[in-house]
Amino acid sequence: MSDIKTAFSGLVSYRGRVGHFSFILHRLTGLGTLLFLIIHILDTSTVYFFPSLYNHAIAIYRSTPMMIGEIILIFCVIYHGVNGARIALFDLFSPRGWQAGVQERSARLTFGIAVVLWLPAAAWMMRSLLINNFGW
Amino acid sequence: MNQSKPIQDQTRLEAISWKWMRYSGLLLIPLAWGHVLIQDVLVGVHQIDLDYVAMRWATLGWRLYDFLLLAFAFAHGMNGLRQVLQDYIRPPARMRRLTAILFGVWLLISLIGAAAILGGVRQP
Repeated sequence: MSDIKTAFSGLVSYRGRVGHFSFILHRLTGLGTLLFLIIHILDTSTVYFFPSLYNHAIAIYRSTPMMIGEIILIFCVIYHGVNGARIALFDLFSPRGWQAGVQERSARLTFGIAVVLWLPAAAWMMRSLLINNFGW
Repeated sequence: MNQSKPIQDQTRLEAISWKWMRYSGLLLIPLAWGHVLIQDVLVGVHQIDLDYVAMRWATLGWRLYDFLLLAFAFAHGMNGLRQVLQDYIRPPARMRRLTAILFGVWLLISLIGAAAILGGVRQP
């Protein structure tokens, strides 16, 4: 419990501004994707272990709350990828990118690219949600 | 000498883990985005059922793709979880126990997923 308290007070007290926002969002999107990935590996594995269960599992994914969750998941995967590319490229090839004054710009750019990539995907998935679950 | 050896080994392992996150991450951008774009955006969960998976896995290339995705994405994710936990769990003994548990969970779920990809779809 005290660990959790430390974690949250840490989130509030460290004011790294844009870079801090990227750091938190990178961790949350990563952990969120991992949580889904664990469930997803297990539900897909039913095609071999319990094939009669697979279509039931898919029926859950077709529900409206899960489809909205799927749209959020896609944002997590896109943001984690774009920001992860920034981390990998700066760390491995161009450490100067981390300099204060430069880093903030790339952090904002990362978020912008993620939103721009996500919007068309989200719109297309929203369309599928409206057609399939609301009879558009 | 006796004391510094395990510490050196641990530092070397952490360096490998650090590099692994960056290189596997770069590889996962085309792998995971390709998967998400095809299955979630273009095909959609309403078109996916047992027959769809069977059709997809009839092609060896897609099975290989899914196998790579399973191997790289899940190891990347579990190692990421370990790295996050390291920031919050201070007693080394507790962290070692947690790492062992994470390793066991990773191995078990990876084996389940790998068995499913190798075994393929069984018609009920």
